[in-house]
Amino acid sequence: MSKGPVDVLIIGTGASGAAAAWRLSEAGFKVVCLEQGGWYRADQYPTAFGDWEFRSATSFAFDPNIRRLPEDYPVNDKNSDVSPLMFNAVGGSTVHWTAHTPRFHPSDFRVKSLDGVADDWPISYWDLEKYYDLNDEWMGCSGISGDPANPPRSQRPMPPLPLGPDGERIARGFDKLGWHWWPSDNYIASQPYRGRNACNNCGPNGLGCFQQAKGSTDVTYIPEAIKNGVEVRTNSRVFEITTNSDGRATGAMYYDDEGIEHHQSARSVIVAANGVGTPRLLLLSKSRKHPDGLANSSGMVGKNLMFHPYAMVSGFFDDAEPNTFKGALGNILMSQEFYETKSRRDFVRGYTYQMNRSTGPAKTATGFTIPPVQWGKGHHEEFALRFGKSALLAVISEDLPEEHNRVDLDPKLTDSNGIPAPRVTYKVSQNTRKLLDHGIRNAEKVLTAAGAHRVEATPVHRSGGWHLMGTARMGTDPATSVVDGNCQAHDADNLFIIDGSVFVTSAAVNPTPTIQAIALRAADYIINERQDLKA
Amino acid sequence: MPTAEGQLTNSDRRNMKVVMDRLVPPVDDLPGAGSMGLLDEVERMAEEHDRYRVSLVRFLDALSMDMSVEAEGGFLALEGEQQDEALKEIESSIAKEFANVLEVVYLAYYSRPEVHRRIGWRSGPLQPLGFTLPPFDESILDTVRKREPFWRQAPD
Repeated sequence: MSKGPVDVLIIGTGASGAAAAWRLSEAGFKVVCLEQGGWYRADQYPTAFGDWEFRSATSFAFDPNIRRLPEDYPVNDKNSDVSPLMFNAVGGSTVHWTAHTPRFHPSDFRVKSLDGVADDWPISYWDLEKYYDLNDEWMGCSGISGDPANPPRSQRPMPPLPLGPDGERIARGFDKLGWHWWPSDNYIASQPYRGRNACNNCGPNGLGCFQQAKGSTDVTYIPEAIKNGVEVRTNSRVFEITTNSDGRATGAMYYDDEGIEHHQSARSVIVAANGVGTPRLLLLSKSRKHPDGLANSSGMVGKNLMFHPYAMVSGFFDDAEPNTFKGALGNILMSQEFYETKSRRDFVRGYTYQMNRSTGPAKTATGFTIPPVQWGKGHHEEFALRFGKSALLAVISEDLPEEHNRVDLDPKLTDSNGIPAPRVTYKVSQNTRKLLDHGIRNAEKVLTAAGAHRVEATPVHRSGGWHLMGTARMGTDPATSVVDGNCQAHDADNLFIIDGSVFVTSAAVNPTPTIQAIALRAADYIINERQDLKA
Repeated sequence: MPTAEGQLTNSDRRNMKVVMDRLVPPVDDLPGAGSMGLLDEVERMAEEHDRYRVSLVRFLDALSMDMSVEAEGGFLALEGEQQDEALKEIESSIAKEFANVLEVVYLAYYSRPEVHRRIGWRSGPLQPLGFTLPPFDESILDTVRKREPFWRQAPD
């Protein structure tokens, strides 16, 4: 069944797809979004239920290979040091994220020029700055300007989330050492914002947000896009981007939830299916003009996968009462003391510290960043030592691109529609391991300075592939990149890729504000330069 | 040993109840996880999520076939310390499955209101109550605000 042409077909409604859908629809483009997941209501999120910890370990797990919902596709990650994580729903992985929203630094776009590694981006921080601001406004940013580790930025729309006594304790630890820290920018409302409630500090903010305080795109951009006439077609699993004899995109083939094939034709196609889903789809979309996959004349589709390997360092404190589970779990404050390359170190680039809180009793027992509480004799003593009395410093490392880290199509594994699943091959580099070791040693100092009586570290956190980047990189040279600086494919001028796939380097911060800024900028490019794509 | 269809037998249930008491032993006035009557909950969770079901079956298979258990005439006949040794053997031989069984037992145990009362956790959904924290206090920034900007300049 074929559906009549629209101006823009967007595949995915997560961070980037939703932002572009809103921006393009504001300018009068006729947009359809295909989303393989469905809508979640706030009262369907785990925290609305007494068994929220069971749900978070199963049907709402970060890992699609554990979750295995009908809308998920499996990922073969047997040859990967890190498991890729994602969520399939309207809002994509922003339903699941912890909404920590740092920006890239100006230096992150120029690592080749500054440090002689990887490549420079074809765009700069300053090209994105106004889009960061726009996105902060629409997603709803809580924070405070004045951070000495970053360029000046406009006043945040809302004040920071509460640090709480546990956050203040860690902040003082950094102060004692004379090291930088700053309250994190978060897309979590610290006060009522545009019809959304303020955060009520329930804790596990990676499980959807009952209060809609967290800025997932299903409560930010998508409702506004729908008001503008965007159609969001759920439970629609795309398996091929179609092209004509010139190699230009003509739309996409997809299955609905009854397994019936459809074709949506379009004057242009935007792919926003994340750093694993996007290369999978491009590699599936072979044609005579694109024999190695769509937009893959460079051979770069699927290569240079970057994750941000994490080291996790937990500190345990002698608190009289358990309390460190009160407040947003993720990323309350950060330190960028060790963000940049220093010649005296044995690695290039750097890392950010993020402070995370503890969580509920079952998750404490089962462990997350450290092994489970021991069973048998000594169980209750060990549990009491951990529960509500710990803080975590996550070391998020810059992950440099390497071609052998990649996504391709698995020769055997398929999803429920029989579509080949992605296969991920990824090794943590020696540079990253040295960087993480450095981060662990210094985190131990911070936690000790903050009063921890015990510190425990996990050098590489396997279940930490939240950030999927680099697999359809941007660049000026069609021989070595997939899209240009405006996210337009070198091989098809009406095909755009706007998710983390286009990242040239990863920086050492969470990528979502940058993904969204890039998406908004790409949308503006289409609006300003590609009116030919509008009917 | 579970049936070919993966159903637990009465013998499996008796074993599992004792296993759960070994994994999470009694504390204060609370019995161990098995004596607390959590096996039904563990089975329900396993039925709902395949990862746990498969692991539980494999674990009970391993338990029934463990040499030390067989030699002594069954897991239930062992002394407590011997039961722990048998469990450690299984933990090292099928680590992934053992970890999944431990996880589902912990999920069941730490969902119980009586356990929550003991450890100081509020039972029930986290929402809509949430928790109260004092608002952000800017004075915490006094030290770090004295620092000059140090972000690295980059060529355009």
